[in-house]
Amino acid sequence: MQDSELLQDGLALMALGMGFVFVFLTVLVISVTLMSKLIGRFQPAAVATGQTKPTATSATSSAKDDEVIAVISAAVHRYRKSRRH
Amino acid sequence: MDKLVTLWEGSGLYNLELGQVVMVAVGMLLLYLAIYKKFEPLLLVPIGFGGILANIPEAGLAISALDQAIEVARPVVLEQIASALGVTLDPLASVSVWRETLKQLVDSGISPDQLRAAHDTASYAGYSDGLLYVFYSVAITTGIAPLIIFMGVGAMTDFGPLLANPRTLFLGAAAQFGIFATLFGAVAMSAMGWMDFTLNQSAAIGIIGGADGPTSIYVSSMLAPELLGAIAVAAYAYMALVPLIQPPIMRLLTTQKERQIKMTQLRPVSKLEKVVFPLLLLILVALFLPDAAPLLGMFCFGNLMRECGVVERLSDTAQNALINIVTIVLGLAVGSKLMAESFLALETLGIMALGIVAFAIGTASGVIMAKLMNMVSRMPINPLIGAAGVSAVPMAARVANKVGLEANPHNFLLMHAMGPNVAGVIGSAVAAGVMIKYLG
Repeated sequence: MQDSELLQDGLALMALGMGFVFVFLTVLVISVTLMSKLIGRFQPAAVATGQTKPTATSATSSAKDDEVIAVISAAVHRYRKSRRH
Repeated sequence: MDKLVTLWEGSGLYNLELGQVVMVAVGMLLLYLAIYKKFEPLLLVPIGFGGILANIPEAGLAISALDQAIEVARPVVLEQIASALGVTLDPLASVSVWRETLKQLVDSGISPDQLRAAHDTASYAGYSDGLLYVFYSVAITTGIAPLIIFMGVGAMTDFGPLLANPRTLFLGAAAQFGIFATLFGAVAMSAMGWMDFTLNQSAAIGIIGGADGPTSIYVSSMLAPELLGAIAVAAYAYMALVPLIQPPIMRLLTTQKERQIKMTQLRPVSKLEKVVFPLLLLILVALFLPDAAPLLGMFCFGNLMRECGVVERLSDTAQNALINIVTIVLGLAVGSKLMAESFLALETLGIMALGIVAFAIGTASGVIMAKLMNMVSRMPINPLIGAAGVSAVPMAARVANKVGLEANPHNFLLMHAMGPNVAGVIGSAVAAGVMIKYLG
């Protein structure tokens, strides 16, 4: 008798718990989606700066690329030379 | 000659019991697994060592001053304790019978006032709480250590992948089925008379399926402190075994074609979204499930410190120095629960068996949920990332990535799997909140 009560309690807790986890995370999904949309609408500048920043840095760094390549190839050259001895 | 006898009777060898020998061996085994097999070494080294310390005979590192006094004190002190407890000891019986009587008296719910008086008597006689006992009562009974670790985990977690694809939260929810299925399994085993778990104990065992160490410890300290040692050991040992447990289940439930599914690139997530997310989560917790507030509150706090970008120092402390300190204390405190009388029981084997079932079911339900979502969703979802819904950050995500690479060497699922992975942390904390609400 007590056993079946325990089983019922377990089953109830399983259904309740699983149900609640799903409901909670569904609410979370909806609110996160809304939040992202709102932020995307009212603050497009933040996203835009986030995207332009890397391109800007890459533009300036491309000017330095030649120099970097030169330095690396010199280092490789020296390394190989030292290995030969 | 008398002094020699006293010395001998006070030695570890004289007082060693078989259970303690076995538990020291268990502690050594944990150390071996941690050091040579690299099983969650950060936790299992302190736990294993704490387990050895707790089983040193006569040292009483893991017991309170009162228990210690009852075990080793002179007859005079025992009489004082007895009078504090409001009983008189039979003058004809031997001292060991006295000790036994007092022990039973203390264990079988005596009024808090008398217990405190007896404790004071023991302290006055020069006995003090064992080191590990103090660690346990400060760090775990209060719930502080798991919560601080959760704050550190929050400070280490990047919610970017989750925010870029919020639907992966469903995978984190589905994987929590492991928790509840195991709870039911434990209850069913008790109903069939194989084991003897109460509903509270079953719930604490189920939480192992959340694959989240601090959550498991937090819940079992509240619902079933007597099983805490076994539950913590099972949780951390299986977390280390995630790369072995998960892949066969993942392969069994998916076809080669499904494993090769490529997912679309995640969109970039703005900083503002990342700052707002922990606050949003906190508000939802406050509105719907205040019982999860300690866990998720600390988690959100840690994450806010990380993302807001103005408290770099605090965030750094939370995810490095503080979490390390607390891990040491927590590990030793858990070790104090590895005492022979509570650990060497059939229940421990049951917990170990149920724990691995919990992991397996959690993995399977995550994968199945991902397959279901794949049917209805426009964006393709690789079912492998569903397995990352059991928390075990970031191990489960790495496993999903690895199995994906086996099917298609150019398909990197790691970032996609991080979404369900951190969703699993939230999911298991929510599940913990429900359990505490229902049973606490």
